[in-house]
Amino acid sequence: MAEEPTLPQLPPFLPADKRKRGRATEPPTTHSSTSSDPAFFSSDDDPALDNYQNHGRRKRRYVGSWFDQQPASSDSGVGDDARPSFPFPRRSRGPPQPQKREFRRQLDSGVWMGTEGNLTDTDDSFDLEPVPARFPLTAPRAQPSIPLSPARPRLTSQEQQVQNTIQSCVDRGEELVDLSGLNLESISDALLNTISEITPIPSVAKDVAFEQRDPQIKVFLSNNRLRTFPIALLNIEHLTVLTLRGNRLVKLPPAISKLRNLQTLNIAQNYLRFLPGELLDLLEPGSKLITFNCEPNRFWHPATASGNEQGAEKYETLTFAPCTETMTIGSTWKGLTTKLQSRTPVHFIDSAGKTYSHFTLPDPGSKLSNVHVLELEPFTSLTTPKELAPELRSHSATSKVVNPRGAKSLFEMALRACATSAEADTIPSWLREDEGWPRHFAPAVENATQLHRQGGVTCSVCGRETLMPLAQWIEFRYVRRTSVEQRAEGRLVRETIGLEETSGEMPVPFLRVGCSWRCVPAKVELAALEGEDDVDVSRGPIESLV
Amino acid sequence: MSDSKYITLVSSEGFEFVVLREAALVSPTIKGMLRSQFSEAQTGRCTFPEISAVVLEKVVEYFHYWYRNRDKEDVPDMDIPVELCLELLMAADYFNLDAKPAMRDAV
Repeated sequence: MAEEPTLPQLPPFLPADKRKRGRATEPPTTHSSTSSDPAFFSSDDDPALDNYQNHGRRKRRYVGSWFDQQPASSDSGVGDDARPSFPFPRRSRGPPQPQKREFRRQLDSGVWMGTEGNLTDTDDSFDLEPVPARFPLTAPRAQPSIPLSPARPRLTSQEQQVQNTIQSCVDRGEELVDLSGLNLESISDALLNTISEITPIPSVAKDVAFEQRDPQIKVFLSNNRLRTFPIALLNIEHLTVLTLRGNRLVKLPPAISKLRNLQTLNIAQNYLRFLPGELLDLLEPGSKLITFNCEPNRFWHPATASGNEQGAEKYETLTFAPCTETMTIGSTWKGLTTKLQSRTPVHFIDSAGKTYSHFTLPDPGSKLSNVHVLELEPFTSLTTPKELAPELRSHSATSKVVNPRGAKSLFEMALRACATSAEADTIPSWLREDEGWPRHFAPAVENATQLHRQGGVTCSVCGRETLMPLAQWIEFRYVRRTSVEQRAEGRLVRETIGLEETSGEMPVPFLRVGCSWRCVPAKVELAALEGEDDVDVSRGPIESLV
Repeated sequence: MSDSKYITLVSSEGFEFVVLREAALVSPTIKGMLRSQFSEAQTGRCTFPEISAVVLEKVVEYFHYWYRNRDKEDVPDMDIPVELCLELLMAADYFNLDAKPAMRDAV
């Protein structure tokens, strides 16, 4: 067996040529600027003798290479604005102090001086840190990709609680999100957006066909301290129950009408002065809203409780586009409708925010406004301010303002571009800081941005979306439980059930918005009220001037 | 007195925009400039030394946009570039292309 030829001997395995070392482990080459004592040199820009006669001017000493230095004299060609790389030529603060060189140990001097005891005199005792390669000669090693969670802002304990509640609802497929009584002052949109991820877990039983159903999400936010309506709620398509009872809301966003699946809406015990007119879309035959609680609130009240129901119906049909109800004949619908009681005069504003009418809607946001009672205007009249009379009279095409639904003004389109831009939050402060801009720009942009965030306002009359309302008025309406029956084509029979069940006797104010000065309530002619149905009613009359 | 169908608007850089007179009259400011006693009315040439060509071009575009759509309803919005929105806000204010009952009794 010994004669058996053996395999040729392997060359001794060398992991690497010992003389060649990897770049990374190579001891650092001494670099003139990183190690050892920096070069000392002096320079004198003006070596005239009389500079030295009086106070013994010292030569400036510079440390380091000459090209790292600041030019010392201002008459040299290079400006002084380059940052000094060393603190030595200090010229900025006060009179130049002669710097004394102190002797101390230069930690990076490269000269190693032994101290007693703790270090031995061999090279093995200390390891030099490998200097990182100056050029990436080898491709960087691929890092194992760790899924980094996105940086979250620090949550308060309340927000943490909200997040946990929502997350557990999402995890368990629970449709009821109870966030009530948490003393929340605001909720970030990011937290609420996860609510729309809730999908109900369908009940799986024997002999029952699997059926997927839409979620019916219920959000309870009652007894918190919310000042603004959480806009993220508007994105939850299948929101059926929303309770905001006992908060500090001042306004509801007009886009609340997007929540078409809402069955219960509770906004009682807030600081609301009025409701958006868009909410009336949910208070019409065909909507799903059954329960609506809005009292008590700090609603404005009409000056006279009796109101003038005379002509209310006529006013509605003339002012607003007729709603197209698609009910099959013979079907009945039960839900909530409203009945118009009265309306206020119109508040006319221009794009600079200036009021032209004598009637102004109080600012709902200010705490000082203690106005609770608003004056009323009969449906048979319409007060228009004198300044706007020529605008309203000119029916010709050259009039830019009065053409409702026509081309928008350049100002409004530019305003929209500002409000939708990414810098919308900072634009008003820029405008305020710079004196060159007209004063009314900043509030206009702010207002438009706020309206845009809330989903925009639609003109009540022409239905166009606007960010610059030019006319607004309040309608007082009773909210009533009604059943509507379609008996024949185009004829609806309304029946009121249980008036006192919903809002009692007090009418609720709804804000109507016009996008131009002609998008205003129609004036009902007295003659039309007396029974002549064919009387033509003109819109935007100017007979009754202030 | 120039009775041409067109007027010329000149920007600060000297760019000239020839605009249909009727379209430009949407702006009460231009309407005022073209009154008979001003030199602009004689030459039909309005110079705007503080408005740059980029902005004036957009304004001129608006004039024609408005003129094309003056009798129409539900007009789609004109495209406003975001970077110009503040300058255009200013220009709209200058040309009175906003909803204000201004300049009517002044001119």
